[in-house]
Amino acid sequence: MARIRYVQIRNFRSIKSLDWTPGPGINCLIGPGDAGKSTVLDAIEACLSPRRVITFADTDFYGLDITQPIEITVTLGELSDELKDIDLYGDYLRGFDEVVDVVDEPHSSLETVLSLQLKVDADLDPTWRLYSDRTAAMDPVRNLPWKARLELSPIRLGGHPNSNLSWARGSVLNKLSEERADMGAELVKAARDARSSFGEAAAAQLKSTLQAVTATAQYLGIPIGGEAKALLDVHSVSFAEGAISLHTAAGIPLRSLGTGSNRLLLAGLHRTAAARASVVLTDEVEYGLEPHRLTRLLHSLGSKEAPPPLQVFMTTHSPVVVRELSGIQLHVLRNLGTRHRAFEVGDTDDIQSTVRCDPEAFLAHTVYVCEGASEIGLLRGLDLYFTSNHGTSLLARGAAFVNAAGGSPELCLKRAAAIRKLGYTTVAFIDNDKPAAPADLEAFKQLGGIVATWPPGLALEDVLFRTFPAQTISEMIDWAVEEIGLERVNQTLTKAAGGKPTTIDEIREGFRILGEYSPDARALLGAAARTRKQGWFKSISKMEAIARQFLGPRWDTSPVFKALIDHLWQAPG
Amino acid sequence: MLKYQAPGKPALVLTHTNAGRAALEIRIKKAGVPGGAARVSTIDSWAIGLARKFPRRCGLPLQVVNVENPRTDYVTIRNAVATMLAAGHLDDALKATYSRLLVDEYQDCGLEQHAIVTAVAKSLKTIVLGDPLQAIFRFGGPIVDWIQHVHTAFPPVAELDTPWRWINAGTEQLGQWLLSLRPALVARQPIDFRTAPAEVTWVPLSGDSNHMHQQRMAAAQTRADARDACVLVIGEAANPRGQRLIASGTPGAVTVEAVDLRDLTQFGRDFDPADQNSATTLVKFAADMMTNLSQAELLRRVGSHLTGRAKTKPTILEQAVLDYAAAPSFGSAASTLRRLADGPRVRIFRPEAFRPCVAAMDAAHQGRLSFYEAVVRARERNRFLGRAVRGRSVGSTLLLKGLEADVSVVLYPEGMDGPHLYVALTRGARRLVVCSRSPVITPAVAS
Repeated sequence: MARIRYVQIRNFRSIKSLDWTPGPGINCLIGPGDAGKSTVLDAIEACLSPRRVITFADTDFYGLDITQPIEITVTLGELSDELKDIDLYGDYLRGFDEVVDVVDEPHSSLETVLSLQLKVDADLDPTWRLYSDRTAAMDPVRNLPWKARLELSPIRLGGHPNSNLSWARGSVLNKLSEERADMGAELVKAARDARSSFGEAAAAQLKSTLQAVTATAQYLGIPIGGEAKALLDVHSVSFAEGAISLHTAAGIPLRSLGTGSNRLLLAGLHRTAAARASVVLTDEVEYGLEPHRLTRLLHSLGSKEAPPPLQVFMTTHSPVVVRELSGIQLHVLRNLGTRHRAFEVGDTDDIQSTVRCDPEAFLAHTVYVCEGASEIGLLRGLDLYFTSNHGTSLLARGAAFVNAAGGSPELCLKRAAAIRKLGYTTVAFIDNDKPAAPADLEAFKQLGGIVATWPPGLALEDVLFRTFPAQTISEMIDWAVEEIGLERVNQTLTKAAGGKPTTIDEIREGFRILGEYSPDARALLGAAARTRKQGWFKSISKMEAIARQFLGPRWDTSPVFKALIDHLWQAPG
Repeated sequence: MLKYQAPGKPALVLTHTNAGRAALEIRIKKAGVPGGAARVSTIDSWAIGLARKFPRRCGLPLQVVNVENPRTDYVTIRNAVATMLAAGHLDDALKATYSRLLVDEYQDCGLEQHAIVTAVAKSLKTIVLGDPLQAIFRFGGPIVDWIQHVHTAFPPVAELDTPWRWINAGTEQLGQWLLSLRPALVARQPIDFRTAPAEVTWVPLSGDSNHMHQQRMAAAQTRADARDACVLVIGEAANPRGQRLIASGTPGAVTVEAVDLRDLTQFGRDFDPADQNSATTLVKFAADMMTNLSQAELLRRVGSHLTGRAKTKPTILEQAVLDYAAAPSFGSAASTLRRLADGPRVRIFRPEAFRPCVAAMDAAHQGRLSFYEAVVRARERNRFLGRAVRGRSVGSTLLLKGLEADVSVVLYPEGMDGPHLYVALTRGARRLVVCSRSPVITPAVAS
C-alpha cells in the first residue's frame, strides 16, 4: 500500500511553509498548542481525499493572504505497479530517499515516487493534479484516475463513526470482506415480518464480517456481550445502504457505545482492513480513552510492529501516548516564524530515556534538564512557594522538569542538547562542584541552550549552607535532624571533616556562642549535606520541602542564589 | 505468446519503422490478442518518449529531445537513453510497467539501438526476432553483427524453418525452394531459376535496353489469379524516377513512397502562390504524380491562353490551371490539383504524395500554419499511419520490405546483393516473376 514519503505545505491556515519527511508507520505530531498539528492532518486529508465537495474559504489562506496560493504536495512511495506505469505516468515519476528528499526524476538509488498536489487560488476553487517540476507549467493538468484516488484516500478516525458501524457506502465494514447483504428481498421480508427474523437472515450472510468484528472487539476488550449481531436498525425507515448496522448481543446499536469504545473499535476494524487502507488520520488520539485503552488503540494501529502495518498520522497532548511510542514515531512540530519544521524525536539513548521517564517534557514549551533529583525538588518547591505567594509559576508557563539522574554534568548536558535540538527552550541545571568540560558547555550553548549553574566549585548544598542567613541554616539543620536522624547527620559530618569525629551539636553550640555559623561550619555543613548516597536532601520530595518551606521565603537574601533563580525563571522568555 | 501470456502487465513490442509498427499492430489484432496485452512502438519513438519524460536523467537539451536537427539528434538521443537505461534509473518503473520485451526485425538494429535493448533486457525478460539475411537497411551508423552482438547478448533459442506464409497460401514448394536458397545467398553462390518450382516464372531478357524495358513493362503487368490479390513490382533500388516511370506506364499501378517524401518536402519549400512562376511549379509537380498530364504541352497552351493568342477554347485541364493563375492561393492550388486528377484519362500514380500534398494545401489555406509546416506535419502523420498495399504497387526492396503480396515481380535481380535478393524473392506468397538475362544469378557484393 502506498505510503506518504514527503509532505509540503504552503500557505495553508497557520502554516506558511512546511517540508516534512514522515516515517512509514505511526507519525505522532507533538508540540505546543497552536503549532499547527491539526492543520498538517487536514492538509494531508485535503490533498489525498477524493472528495470533490471540499470547500475553501479565505480563512484557509495563511495570514488571510489570498494572493499566495495554498499548495499541498504529498509524495507517495511504495507505489503499486499500475502507478509506476512508465507510459501513463512517466512524466510524473520522481525519486526519493530520506537524504535527498524528492528529486524530479527516478534514479537507480532512489525509490520511485509520485507527487499529488492540491492547489487553491484566490478563486477558492481547488484543483488536484499529479505534480512534477518538469510538468509544472503544463496545461491542462493531469490527475490520477478516480479508482486510484479512492484507494489512496485516507481514513479519519473519529470522523463519522456511525456510518462506519453500519453497512453504509464507504463503511469500513465493506472493506473487511467482499460479502454484502441482499438488500432487496431479505430486507423487505424482514420489515414485514419482524426485526428479529431478519436478524437471523443477515447474520448468516454477514458471518465472516461479524466474526471479524467480534474478534476485534474481544481483542480490544470492548463489551459487546458475546458475539456481534447484524440486526435491522429500528431507525431505518428507508431500505437504503446502511439500513443494516452492527448491534450488541443484547440488540443495542454499537454506535450507542461511548466515544472511546467507538474509536477503539473503529481503529481495530481499520487495522483489520489494513490491506486496503492507505493512511489513517486521527486528531487528539487520546480523546475519550483511559490510558489502558489508549495503549490498546496504539497497539492496534501497529505501534510495536515491524514492518508497520499502517501509516498513521496523529496528534496528541497525552504523555501516555508519548511514553507508549518510540522516538522515531514522535515528531515535534515547531513554528519557526516564517516556516514550520517537524523534528523527529529519534531513538538515541540521549533522548529515549526522556521519552520513557519524562514524556511530559515533549508537551512543554521550556524544558529544565536537571542534573539530579535535588535540582528538580528545588525548582518544584520554589515554584509552589511562588505560586502560593502570587509569584510567577514555571509550570503554568509550560515548563517541564527532566531528571538526568546520572550524577554527572556531562550526561545532563547531553540529554539537554538532544532536547534542545528538537526546538525546545532548554535549560541545563547542573552543579559546579566538579565543573563540566568547557567543550560540552560550549557545544550546548552553541545549540542555543541555556546553562544554569553555581559559581565554580560549588554544589547546590554548598550554596544553601554558605550563602543563606543563619536562621535558614538552623531551619535546614533542624529539618535534617528531624527527617533523617541525628545519627546519620553526625556520620556525614564526620565524613565531611575527613574522619575527625564531628557532631551537629558542636556546630549548634558554635552558633549559640557566635550568633552566626562560621564559614568553616557552613562549608562543613554543605559538604555533609551532599555526601554521596547519604545526602540530606537528595530526593525530589525532600528538596521540594526545603525549597518550599525555608528557601522560598528568603530566596532573595542570598545574592548567589537569587542570581541563579532569576536566570532560571527568565528562561521561558 | 502475447495471446497466451497471463493477464496483467502488457508486453513492450519494439520494431524499427513506423510501417513495421503499424503492420505489427494489425497482425496482433488479427491474432486475437486481447487489447492492452501489448504496447507497440518503434525503438526510436520509444526512446524519444523516455528522453522527453526524463530529460534530466538523459541530460539532453530541449532542442535535441524535440529532434530539431534529425541528422544528429536521433543518434544523440539513442546514446543518452541507452546510458540512462544502463545506469538502471528506470529499472523499477520498467518492471512495474511491462511484463517482457519483444523486438522485431532485429537484424536492422543499429548499435545504439542494440545498447538500448540490452540495457532494458537487464530488467525485463527479452526476446529478439530477426533474420540476418534480411538486413538491407542502413539507417546511418553501423548495425548489429548477428554473431558478434546478437548471439552474445541473446543466445539463440530457435530458428524458424517452416515457411508458414507459403504453406498458408498453398505454395509450400515455393516456400521450401526459397528457404533452400539461403545458404547460396549468404555465401554469394549462384542461384538457378530453371530449377525453381512452377510458381516461379523466369522472363529471359534479350535485345537492346529498349527491348528489355518493354519486356520489364510487360512483366510488371503480370496478372494475379484472384481478383483482390495484390502485386508488388520491385524496381531498381535508389531510382525513384525509374519506379515512377514503371508505375505511370502500368495500368492500375501506384508507387510506394519513401517515408521522407523528399520531393514533396522540397515542393513544400519551393511552392509559393505569391511567386510569379508558381503555376509552372504547380503543373510540374502535378505531372510528377499523374499520368497523361503532359506538362510541356499544358504549360505552352496555358501560356497562349494567357496572352490571348489561343484560337481554341481551353480544355478542362487548361481551364483548371488558368483558374489557378487568375487567383493564385493554396486553396485554388488544391482545387486545381483535384480538377487535374479528375481530368480525362488522368490517373494518380503517386497517391502517397498526392494526398498529403492536397491536405497540406488545405491546411495552409486555412492559415494556421505555413505550407511547409503543413507538408511536414502531413508527412509525419503518414509516417505514423503506416501503409497497406492494395492492387499493384511499385517500389524497391527497401520500400517494400515488410510488405507482403500474392505476386512479386523482380525487375532488376542482377546487381542485388544476397539480402536484397532474398527480400525481393520472398515478397510474393503465390507467384514470383523474375526478369534477367541469364537464368543463373550470382549475388553482388554488398553495396
